[in-house]
Amino acid sequence: MSDPSESLASAKAVADRVIKAKRLNACLTPPKELRASLAQQAQAAHHSGVLYGMPVAVKDNICTLEFTTSCGSKILGGFRSPFEATAVARLKAAGALIAGKTNCDEFGMGSSTEHSAYGRTVHPTDKARVPGGSSGGSAALVAAGAVPAALGSETGGSVRQPASLCGVVGIKPTYGRVSRYGLVAFGSSLDQIGVLGRSVHDAARVLSVISGRDPRDATCEDRDPLRLPTVPESLQGFVIGIPKEYFPPDLDPGVRRACDRAIRLLRELGAAVREVSLPHTAHAVPTYYIVAPAEASSNLARYDGARYGPRFDGSADVRSLYRRTRGEGFGPEVRRRILVGTYVLSSGYYDAYYRKAQQMRALIAQDFRHVFDRGVDLLFTPTTPTPAFKAGEKLSDPVAMYLSDIFTVTANLAGLPALSLPIGRIKGLPIGGQFLGQAFLEDEMLEAAYALERVVPATEEA
Amino acid sequence: MSVTRDEVLKIAQLAELEVDDAMLPALAEQMSSILAYVAQINSVPASESARPFIPGPDAVRFRPDEVKPAPLAFGPAVFAPAFQDGFFLVPKLGQFEDGEAEG
Repeated sequence: MSDPSESLASAKAVADRVIKAKRLNACLTPPKELRASLAQQAQAAHHSGVLYGMPVAVKDNICTLEFTTSCGSKILGGFRSPFEATAVARLKAAGALIAGKTNCDEFGMGSSTEHSAYGRTVHPTDKARVPGGSSGGSAALVAAGAVPAALGSETGGSVRQPASLCGVVGIKPTYGRVSRYGLVAFGSSLDQIGVLGRSVHDAARVLSVISGRDPRDATCEDRDPLRLPTVPESLQGFVIGIPKEYFPPDLDPGVRRACDRAIRLLRELGAAVREVSLPHTAHAVPTYYIVAPAEASSNLARYDGARYGPRFDGSADVRSLYRRTRGEGFGPEVRRRILVGTYVLSSGYYDAYYRKAQQMRALIAQDFRHVFDRGVDLLFTPTTPTPAFKAGEKLSDPVAMYLSDIFTVTANLAGLPALSLPIGRIKGLPIGGQFLGQAFLEDEMLEAAYALERVVPATEEA
Repeated sequence: MSVTRDEVLKIAQLAELEVDDAMLPALAEQMSSILAYVAQINSVPASESARPFIPGPDAVRFRPDEVKPAPLAFGPAVFAPAFQDGFFLVPKLGQFEDGEAEG
């Protein structure tokens, strides 16, 4: 597709598809701007790139030069970054087209994309429900067929949870696999850019391009980009652990049925399946909701109305300028997390909360090491405890909302790679199954996912 | 764990966050419920010997100590709310609430 008129036609088709999905409120980029940018990008795209012509939407907390980066927040409304994320630069160098910015919970804080200053994103198959979050816009756009892949970001499951709820694939790489340069920081020891795709292969191709060493991020490992595995004939030789703590007695029966079916298929593919235990799993969500707000309260201190985005003015002095800008610019969930984070770090509470959470985090990571040291290659679990829930259902109860991350936060706390893929439907709503892998062994995780994806009846009732 | 209205105000002050008086009761209730929920980790006898876990490289790599121009597509004048002669503009530093002048 090196003919310029063909490139332009393709860019127009991409823009048309994204704009057609407008009812989802998944893309924050205005249609006119999207069309103009895509036409420009198509003409400049690298013809020899491995993703040449592939449209990839980008979550609004990842910096781009083409479009504004608001993080779904009023406090960064209209903010244009003077630099772009390494992941975005690599996509462009590979010939991909940046197909707009996707809606998200403000600064990635949320599990439903209802906490966006720009309105909630709608679930692609049931408008009364949420697409999950915080990368709900990316998941909804992929599920609606508007783009084959999109970038999201994860702090506690924000790629895998919406992938599960929308019926697409979501990959969270090992901490340090993908550069965080240009990803707006929320919880720096947990954050990773991840990929949502309509298939394992689409997501994996994008992950391979954005991965690899980057001198601009000191937490990015000095490793080559991820090499994609081939699709395996069978899973002979794989040992897959089923952690019993992820299958509590009160697990949604539909989710249990879908997982049981997937586990049977993994056995039929030749994998050895055995039950394992990760004893500190029950403490992962409370641990996460101490560590993440603590880091957020520090990272978000920079939004003060002096340097970025809009300023909510009329202040007599600089301190009231900070307070007014932050008070009016942040939404309710971000305000709550800043307050909780400040509280757990404050004198007198640090030991009981933050220090204790750091110890718990070590124990959670140790659980995984023990299992993997005993010959288990991968773990398989549900991604989410339920399918997509109704909009507004959990808004007034933050703890209920936090519990929708119960199966995903462990990978972020332990820095491990994880992947969600569709494994069935419950009353028409998609549900995902999750592979958790060993650090930097994404290739093994992808092999298992390729194999399961080929045989699982993902669009059939479980 | 119960957080009072005054504690929310004190924390909000530490966080440089203006909080509407009308929102204080709801915030105190939500913070109490979140903190009570996360405090359950104190029921686990985490050993003091558990080494803190931080993912990522064991050591931060050094880069050559060279002065390089910031690779920005445009300068802060474009994205700052108010900018002049290389400086971010803010209202004059005033007296803090406790009467201490900023140094």
